Amino acid sequence: MSFLYKDNFHRDAFLGLIVWFTLIVFYHIFPDPGIHDIIQKVFILGLFAMSLNILIGYLGLIAFGHAAFFASGAYTLGLFLQSDYVLSLGGFSIPIAMTLAVLISSILAALIGVICIRLNDIYFSFLTLAFQMLIYSIILALVSITGGDQGLMGGFPKPPFLGIDLGRPFDFYAFTIFISVITIVILRQIIESPFGYGLRMIRDNSERPAALGFSNQKHKLIAFILAGSIAGLAGSLQALLDVGAYAEWAYWSKSAEPLFMILLGGMQSFLGPLMGALIFELLNDFVTANTRYYGLVLGLVILCFVLGLKKGLLDWLLFKFNRK
Amino acid sequence: MEIFALFDCIISPACLLTQAAGGLKIGMLLFLVASGLTLVFGVLGVINFAHGALYMLGAYFSWQVMSITGHFGLSVILGALGVGIFGILFERILISRVYNAELLVQILLCYSVVLILDDLVMIIWGDEFLSGLGVPELFQVPPLFIFDAIIPPFHLAIIAMSFIVGLILWFIMTKTRFGRLVRAAAINPKMLEALGVNINLLRAGVFMLGSFLAGLGGALAASVGSVVSGMGSSIIIESFIVTVIGGMGSISGAFLASLIIGMARSFGAVAMPLFTDGLMFMIMVLVLILRPQGLMGKKK
Amino acid sequence: MKKINKYSRRAILKTSASSASIFALTGFPNILKAENNIKIGIPTILSGRVAQLGISVTNAIKMSVNNFNNAGGLDGRNIELIVRDSRAKPDEAARVCRDFINSDKVDVIINAEASGASFAVQEVVRESGTLCLHSVSETTSLTANPSIRAWNTFRFSRQGIHDSVGSAKYAAKIAKEKGLKTWMSVNPDYAYGRDSDDTFFWALEKFSPGAKVLGKGWPKIFQPDYTEVITQIARKKPDAVYTSLWGGDLVSFIDQASLYGIFKNTELFAINLADYTTMSAIKNLPEGLHSGTRYVAAWPNTQDNRNYDKSYTDLYEDHPTNWSWSASVAIDFLINALKETGSTDSKKLAEAIKGKTRKSFMGVGDNNSVSIRDRDQTIIDYSIGWGTTISNEPYMTGIQAADWDTIKELEKIWLADKNWL
Repeated sequence: MSFLYKDNFHRDAFLGLIVWFTLIVFYHIFPDPGIHDIIQKVFILGLFAMSLNILIGYLGLIAFGHAAFFASGAYTLGLFLQSDYVLSLGGFSIPIAMTLAVLISSILAALIGVICIRLNDIYFSFLTLAFQMLIYSIILALVSITGGDQGLMGGFPKPPFLGIDLGRPFDFYAFTIFISVITIVILRQIIESPFGYGLRMIRDNSERPAALGFSNQKHKLIAFILAGSIAGLAGSLQALLDVGAYAEWAYWSKSAEPLFMILLGGMQSFLGPLMGALIFELLNDFVTANTRYYGLVLGLVILCFVLGLKKGLLDWLLFKFNRK
Repeated sequence: MEIFALFDCIISPACLLTQAAGGLKIGMLLFLVASGLTLVFGVLGVINFAHGALYMLGAYFSWQVMSITGHFGLSVILGALGVGIFGILFERILISRVYNAELLVQILLCYSVVLILDDLVMIIWGDEFLSGLGVPELFQVPPLFIFDAIIPPFHLAIIAMSFIVGLILWFIMTKTRFGRLVRAAAINPKMLEALGVNINLLRAGVFMLGSFLAGLGGALAASVGSVVSGMGSSIIIESFIVTVIGGMGSISGAFLASLIIGMARSFGAVAMPLFTDGLMFMIMVLVLILRPQGLMGKKK
Repeated sequence: MKKINKYSRRAILKTSASSASIFALTGFPNILKAENNIKIGIPTILSGRVAQLGISVTNAIKMSVNNFNNAGGLDGRNIELIVRDSRAKPDEAARVCRDFINSDKVDVIINAEASGASFAVQEVVRESGTLCLHSVSETTSLTANPSIRAWNTFRFSRQGIHDSVGSAKYAAKIAKEKGLKTWMSVNPDYAYGRDSDDTFFWALEKFSPGAKVLGKGWPKIFQPDYTEVITQIARKKPDAVYTSLWGGDLVSFIDQASLYGIFKNTELFAINLADYTTMSAIKNLPEGLHSGTRYVAAWPNTQDNRNYDKSYTDLYEDHPTNWSWSASVAIDFLINALKETGSTDSKKLAEAIKGKTRKSFMGVGDNNSVSIRDRDQTIIDYSIGWGTTISNEPYMTGIQAADWDTIKELEKIWLADKNWL
């Protein structure tokens, strides 16, 4: 079992497979659909938050406008599956739709990123926000294409592919977790690679990398595109879940959600944002079921973390664990 | 896009002046609020995302005073002062803890306060919107016609008030000892402390001033509009746009930017009524790309 | 920054935990939760500035359900209400619905979400086949568009096209009396506002051909400052303005427009004005504004309607809203269907609701009835009226009822235009 301590692809892939398999078994042991829904949501939002953490945790760039890519992924998938291409593509529709979602989000991230990374600190943050809100305004204005503030209405078909029927709850559950786990494993390899360490170097000391003949800007752009494409993937999964895409996903408050998750779970540990997504989802479900004052409770919880723990939960746990 | 409508408007004095007057009013009210935001950032280095919530409190506080006293002027002043005092508490209890923390922590702290206040006002004042303060008797008169432009006297009063407040702010910041200390604190707080200045008092004072301005904006907005939870969310985005365009920390920049945004809104409503917000964000994007420090900001 | 020590951290956590518990949702009393209860899931908005929507809907439904349960229920089976807040977010609404269907195993959903989220709910129930009664959304396409409606969904709330035909006919009549030829509009730029503007001016053209539209204002919903729209009205001086602004937005608009003296020369047709909260919140309400009746105790001018208002007000110390009446009618039809079929099966209940006509306090059909139309499963023959406003209770005078024959006739033409027939 010593190979589990080696931080490499084989270990990560193995762990990923174990997790996926465990959750599949879990599905059959605990048939409560509410819990399955939560697990799915945690992975989708977790992907979204982890993608943002590439920028915040590893690169040290606070992006306020990250939901733009989540929304672009969702709308791309939705619009594609509502189009007539589905008729001719049949079973290939969903894989192609998801690939398109990631591709379009990457391109969008490249276009926005190349402009934003020229700025530092708060100006970078504000520019990403400005771009997101501009995209939001465009989505609202193009009512005939996007449905405006109503979002994509009327649903869309989910043709089965490779024996997977996303209309069936179990298939959707297994598929979502599978895609999420693969993405997380791949992301882990990237983060633990020289590229990933380059990001940390940029975060910790902006001058040193350049002195080593390192291109800051190229690294930042690639990281930005990577983050945007994973956010787009998360968005496409969300769109599949809700059979639609909503303008709210392009509004600035959607960008605040992964920020909360990163705060709650921690930005210094790789899986911190995923844990943050778990806390956020549980809080969401529990609080809305018991009180009207969700904002009050969420606000107080965040205050506690900001003033009290001062770290995300996973960061804090690992910190305590390592102190022994 | 109704480009012809815009063109027709610009060549007609009545239209040009009326829309410009409207844009001036929008801009001036925005300046009142945004100046507080940029002041706090410039001096304390804090991006007070709760600024819109303070604006909302200004509306609620002034409504409360109005319901007790029925006096407009008193309601506005006491309402704004109330928010100023709240600002001191907010700064001392919460903001002061995160001065040296990361940007993300500061933003989330402020945002959590927004969430809390939005619900708190509903718990205290109920969840229905409240009626506005109402324009004082003095201003319940027909609008004025100046060179064919239609301008309500109350708007002139708001424009004048904001302008005067701006002047007073400028005077405080440049001509008084407090202002000099505040500007020095922005550059080198440690030195100031070593010289025996009570930095905490200074910081609280600045935050109080910024909050007062937000509250004043809210109280004035409440004079011609309903008071409701969440009313800060629209003003905070606009305030940020103004602050960014004008230059973070620059009050004169905020003034200029507010005018630009006010005019853009007013004429944008003629040219592209369905994309006015988009226009605001486009301007923000352009400024950040071409001149990130803002129109009057200093390049770091 | 070692200022927060363990003690104060615990103190913070303690206060937040206790505060969370005192804010309990007005839920169904636990004692009555029984296994064989008939469960109704109600996704709605209970927080934020539109909280009144959820509150007035749940109040109305509870009123009927308590009576039903106290009278013995359905052979001893009680109705259990599960109300959840979606915070006006469509994806939350979808999640809440999925939870209702999969975890809570509700028998019926009474959808009290606003327009945007209602489309999300529609997709969820379309997939599951659960019976769904829409009681808030007024967007015409929800039932008018054949590709959006479904066999298991019914609409009990007003519909844009119906309201607009009624509004336009009244407006044309006033226009003829007073010689109103030029128009402008101010509508919030979201689905409901666009729908309202679109259908109103389409219908106005039919009743008042040659009516000239000088311009349209499209403020964002919840926008606090309407100056840029009002200045355009002040300059162009139209004879009349149509607006579908509502609630706090309408209050702000009227307060701000009064400063420009707009209402001296321009007739305002504000379909959502005559609502108790809205009217009482406007400072210096100008006389003689025109408004639709939405829900007022004075109209329909029947004892049944007055009784409804009184029962609601006695219980909740607040008047019913426009959202309340459609929820009440929905629960009435549902309870009737439950009694008729003795079952909670969606197909059976749907059959017992489709095409059904029932007497109602809001009914203006034969014998004061409303009906659920067969073809598109939406409510018809509900009260639509217009009148002019006065500053005191009952806030409206000179109310004229809209004529449903005209409404249905024009509706057919409109649907044909859209190829939705």
